[in-house]
Amino acid sequence: MSANSIIESFLAEQGYALFEYLGGGEFVAIGECPSWCDEIWGPEARNGKHVRLAERSAFLENFLVDAEESWRGAGSAGSGNWIESAASGREIPLEAFALSLDGKNILILRNLSSTFAEQQRWFQTARDSLLAHEKLLTEIQKKEILLHCIIHDLSQPLSAMSGCFNLLLLERLPPALKKFARDGLRESQRQESMIRGILSAFSGDLAAQQSAAASDAPAPNLAACAQQALEEFSASAAEKGIHLRLDPRLNPALDWRVVGDAARLDRIFGNLLENALRHSPKGTTVTIGVENDGAFVLAFVDDEGPGLPADQPASGLFALFAKGKSHSGKAGLGLYFCKITVERWGGTIGAETRPVGGSRFWFRLPRAAKSAESPAEEARAKSTTPTPEASRSSKPFKRLRVLVAEDIELNRELVMELLERRGHSASSAHDGIHVLAALEREPFDAVLMDEEMPRMNGLEATRLIRQKEISTGNHIIIIGLTGNSTVEDERRGLEAGMDGFLGKPIQMEKLYATLESLVQGTLSHASGQEAGETQASPQVGEHSGSDSESIAAQLRHTTGHNKKLQQSLIKIFLTDAPKTLAQIRRAVARKDAQKLATAAHALKGSLAIFGASEAVAAAQKLQTMGRAGDLEEARTEFRALEAEFTRIERELRDLRAKPKRAARPKPKNRRKR
Amino acid sequence: MIQKKVCMLGSFSVGKTSLVSRFVKSIFSEAYLTSIGVKIDKKVLRANDEDVALVLWDIHGEDVYQKIRMSYLRSMHGYLLVADGTRRQTLEDALALNERVVQEFGKLPSVLVLNKSDLAERWEIDSAGEAKLAEQGWSVVRTSAKTGDAVESAFTQLARAMLAV
Repeated sequence: MSANSIIESFLAEQGYALFEYLGGGEFVAIGECPSWCDEIWGPEARNGKHVRLAERSAFLENFLVDAEESWRGAGSAGSGNWIESAASGREIPLEAFALSLDGKNILILRNLSSTFAEQQRWFQTARDSLLAHEKLLTEIQKKEILLHCIIHDLSQPLSAMSGCFNLLLLERLPPALKKFARDGLRESQRQESMIRGILSAFSGDLAAQQSAAASDAPAPNLAACAQQALEEFSASAAEKGIHLRLDPRLNPALDWRVVGDAARLDRIFGNLLENALRHSPKGTTVTIGVENDGAFVLAFVDDEGPGLPADQPASGLFALFAKGKSHSGKAGLGLYFCKITVERWGGTIGAETRPVGGSRFWFRLPRAAKSAESPAEEARAKSTTPTPEASRSSKPFKRLRVLVAEDIELNRELVMELLERRGHSASSAHDGIHVLAALEREPFDAVLMDEEMPRMNGLEATRLIRQKEISTGNHIIIIGLTGNSTVEDERRGLEAGMDGFLGKPIQMEKLYATLESLVQGTLSHASGQEAGETQASPQVGEHSGSDSESIAAQLRHTTGHNKKLQQSLIKIFLTDAPKTLAQIRRAVARKDAQKLATAAHALKGSLAIFGASEAVAAAQKLQTMGRAGDLEEARTEFRALEAEFTRIERELRDLRAKPKRAARPKPKNRRKR
Repeated sequence: MIQKKVCMLGSFSVGKTSLVSRFVKSIFSEAYLTSIGVKIDKKVLRANDEDVALVLWDIHGEDVYQKIRMSYLRSMHGYLLVADGTRRQTLEDALALNERVVQEFGKLPSVLVLNKSDLAERWEIDSAGEAKLAEQGWSVVRTSAKTGDAVESAFTQLARAMLAV
């Protein structure tokens, strides 16, 4: 046996097939052809017969172009991997090389079967890791969206509520009314603590996200959570004429402990119940219950409403910003929250139309392994926030001149009122440009600067002020105000040159403490989170009061029955809000996304004061569309907003027209403008 | 019979192999098995009252580990540009890949496939985005290799477009 034939046999053994190219598409095998060649191309490829490989393989037909080029240039070419199917159906991974040897044009085919599986495993692992990374990023992004939506939705009315209650408590009220005001303040602060709970749920890292399953906290009892949710919603159901009941088959003595935490379970039940009540006709029954489901516990909320929309898959209801056709919900976040929370705990969630009519929304959670029980009440603790009266005794060290920069007039009015009650002098600005102009005109001790304002935002204005101060050597105290109370927002504010930071809703104690401390110089880098704040314990369950209350009731509630303030708010709204609505209409017609976002943001803030949650949700959606530059659904959403707006406007006009006692007009020039 | 070379192009894990598998063999596997290299299949379909043999080049997805060799696309008559509707980035990547293809081979018949339409709750490409793509001249088809929804239609649209050239 010659050396050549030994090499040829060795190569065949190793899975190589060698062909010489004869031109015109014809090849002839060199030496022994391995058996896989037969499998693919049959016996014609062996025994010195000429074979037209390109006609038998579309891949080789394509590679022949590269091969011929390489043979002409005396270089080499490689094909990369491909898979040929043998007649038996077996798939054979191959690779081809073209090179010139001894003046011959050689094609080498290599069977990769021996290494292919390992190569594939490597790619598989690498790509699985990439997918996992992408999924993680998407998850984080969703949480951020949620976080910002929730904060935006909830912070504006809270700001107004806290402010009104604080103001009320500064009045000489009869003891009974004072109690109501304290209760109102406490509830608004509890609501704020709920926002903080959501913040901590969504802004933490993944390890924190999954802490519920691994934490030492006792496992929550799902039946107890259902019972508690029922109690919380019974008044709201009764008001709508809906019978809300616990499933009579439920035996509370059984073990209903599951993976999760009570606070978020309450919120899940709250969302499902709120959804059921929204879609249930008067006189029907909503049933909440839990059932055994093997290693899981199944919780459900059944209603007798119209059932699920026929044209929408049930899974779509749990998508981000998903809303039914009626658009009767809020921002479309509730069910999405439920889904991601339940899934994080290893559970599943779904909805279906019941055979007897109505819908069933359900979720299933793994049973807990731990033995201790966690009453949901544990999550609730009394607020230790100091009362506004306590601050009345401590007078400010001096009367400060404060510029309040806030684009939403209602919020601006409330902050200014708080400042003036404290004995400070307050002026106002609507945007960053007004702030710069005001600072040119007169001196101030401090600026309370809203971060999000039209034309020039607070961060930009702060940077310009600080730039100018480089030449003057002055330093005015600037305190950022924002509805987004995240560490990142605070960092951006401080980086822009702000001295401190106050999250909305503004709390009187924090406002006074931060402002006065910073001006006095006792705090070098105080933030709203640190200055005098004592945080209430997490509050569970989303409050749904505004949906079910009339505007008049909501207004009375918000203002603590202060008619003067009510009339003032109504007047401001009726004067300004129609103009803002007109701006939105124009922006939609002209497809001006930026103007739409700005105007919708402004109107949302005003509507929130009146608890007009549907209109707020519509405005929020338009704002989101504007920011995303996606105005396809803007006309439809605007019509929804306009309809709600008209209703609200009509009610407010009625309220203005029929006060029991005519409201005195607000004194003009009360403040410097 | 008319024969047309069709390439499946797009990022990894968008479902190119699953689409071919559904179209050619009417099967779907839940398990994700990544593709390495090229696999060629054939399928005859009827378009414009003609039988057209599609030679389907299922080319590995492009990522940081594997780039597509432009030589694979030589002599192709059209292509399906595939993106995963639940991963918006794959659409961006597909469009970037398309630019390279157009630069190399000029404008060829193509259909933009947004796959995995069965995962509606995770869909990341809104209808406005789709409308914008249509405005740019794309034939956009939402498919599900899992359920088979619109898969045949996507290939048929491409076949018609290739016949029209």
